[in-house]
Amino acid sequence: MTTLSDSPLLIALPTGRMAEETLALFQQAGLSTPSGNAGRKLILPSADNTLRYIMAKPTDVPTFVEYGAADIGICGLDTLREGGCNVYEPLLLPIGPCRLSLIGPADRSDVPLRYASQPRVATKYPRLTMEFFRERGVNAEIIKLNGSIELAPLVGLAELIVDLIETGNTMRANGLVELRVIMHSQAVLVVNRAAHRLKAIAVQHVLGALRAILTPAMPEQET
Amino acid sequence: MVINQPIDAQPSALIPRGVADYFWAEAEQRRHLETLLLETFRRWGYGDVLPPMFEYADTLGSRANSELQAALVRFQDRDGSTLALRGDMTIAVARLVGTRLHDWPMPQRFCYAGSVFRYTELQAGRQREFWQAGIELIGATAPAADAEILALTAKALQRAGLVDFRLVVGQMGYFHGLLQALHLPPDQQRMLHQAVNLNSEAGLADFMRVATLPRAQRRAVEQLPYLSGQNVEAILSQADQLCLNEPMQSAVANMRAICHALASYGLLDVLYLDLTEIHNLGYYTGITFEALAPGLGFPVAAGGRYDHLIGSFGKPQAAVGAAFTLDRILMAKHSATHPHQTPHPVAPDLLVAAQDSAECLAIVEIWRAQGTTVAVDVCARQGRELGEMAHQIGSQWLLIWTGNGFDVYENVGPSQASAYYLSAAEAKLKIWQLNTQRL
Repeated sequence: MTTLSDSPLLIALPTGRMAEETLALFQQAGLSTPSGNAGRKLILPSADNTLRYIMAKPTDVPTFVEYGAADIGICGLDTLREGGCNVYEPLLLPIGPCRLSLIGPADRSDVPLRYASQPRVATKYPRLTMEFFRERGVNAEIIKLNGSIELAPLVGLAELIVDLIETGNTMRANGLVELRVIMHSQAVLVVNRAAHRLKAIAVQHVLGALRAILTPAMPEQET
Repeated sequence: MVINQPIDAQPSALIPRGVADYFWAEAEQRRHLETLLLETFRRWGYGDVLPPMFEYADTLGSRANSELQAALVRFQDRDGSTLALRGDMTIAVARLVGTRLHDWPMPQRFCYAGSVFRYTELQAGRQREFWQAGIELIGATAPAADAEILALTAKALQRAGLVDFRLVVGQMGYFHGLLQALHLPPDQQRMLHQAVNLNSEAGLADFMRVATLPRAQRRAVEQLPYLSGQNVEAILSQADQLCLNEPMQSAVANMRAICHALASYGLLDVLYLDLTEIHNLGYYTGITFEALAPGLGFPVAAGGRYDHLIGSFGKPQAAVGAAFTLDRILMAKHSATHPHQTPHPVAPDLLVAAQDSAECLAIVEIWRAQGTTVAVDVCARQGRELGEMAHQIGSQWLLIWTGNGFDVYENVGPSQASAYYLSAAEAKLKIWQLNTQRL
């Protein structure tokens, strides 16, 4: 049995497009990625067996990393802030840039949010939404949804929604407009706090390789 | 790099979760609705009661149904006793009548309005502080009393501007009687209760498999889910045929008498009978009801008969009542009319630049006495500035005192010529035709 410090790093990737783009970035950085068809296997070893990968639901990635079930994870900054998981976040990746925004019907007049006593807001991000309104002294009624957020204002479930905007096409197609940007988001690499120390060499290797291609002008930092 | 810094952060103004500031038109609408409901209640002979905002937690907690018990907001008095913010008004009224007004002739009628506090899952129109209005009719057991509460609930909702609502009425006695007749072991009783409460066909089928019941009893259980709908007569006669004992029969008879009385109020068409409505079993003893409005998944009002509550304070008294959730009534009204209302202050009808003239202010008083809303400029604004102000606050007229009369500007924009001159003598007799509905 291998000890914690010499077992290969386990990296949690979010299912979907972000995983593909992350793997492409890893390859570019010279990091080994899974080879061939994985079939039904849940844990995928990299081609040279130096790394292992798992695929998780995007919102679960920070949880896997916080508990140390994975050493490193890739997820959206929005997901990370919403989950409030206690992990290190040493590196932002140039993947999946988007905005978490407050969105409302196009015919809504743009008045300061604090003028509304109790707006009803539907979102996948109840925590960030609550914080955003609380900072403005507004007691928003938050309705947690898990998908099709744009539907909420159309059927009268909520007056406003908080959702990710990438291109804004879905939003516009449904007669909605962006009212406020709550946060800018993109992919972030998170590291388990223990692994950051116990597997420092392996973790720094991954971070260093990625930094080298992300900021080529800067000399690679050694710890 | 700073990440996740709020982009347009305002000065911090945190308020706790589940409470809100109400202001401008919305606050006025709230007060207006409250007044409207109270006026309606008073016309039916209900007298105001203003219970305290907090009481001993024991007083409230031990009487509340289990749902409310867990939701009370408790805190400590300086002497160490535990207090609780009122979670509803009914218990306080029951305490008042049970301990202090028990010798006054019955029935007694009370109405109230105010905010109540509960730790609950935040949901539509149910924040931790929410506004209730309600009625309690104490000391009358007759079906006429239940019918009065139902009728007054319907009238009050109509008065509040809800057009298309239904009163869903159940009778706890029917299900209580059924349970009595079935003699079920506790676990099967729970199964049946849950199946009926959740309206679960699968749950009821499971129960039928487990319970071994004689044919008549079997039929009474199987037919239970069908005892709901708007066809009151058909449902009641069907319920009658399924009765297994005296309590069930008297529940149906009671329901029939109440429906008969409601027909006299002309309210049969808002009635929806539902003998499977058994939530809050154990708190309500007779009829129980909810008022539902389209476009809102939650009841705007609810109530029922609770004959055991007052007895816990003193001499037992029959009682029936209803509570309205103001936030939900407003929500139902808004979803029906204008969903995206921009928040705005309530505009005065007139903005007057009085130039500190006693004569002008006296005329303003005449207008106010007529019911016209008049705001007087107190910032010594002049000309264009006044026009901008009037436009911004949305007042219908701007009047500028000239020493012996007014320059009158109507529906002012930032730059607009005077519409006409109004002499002081004319002004005293002027009746303003207000073209805006204030609410």
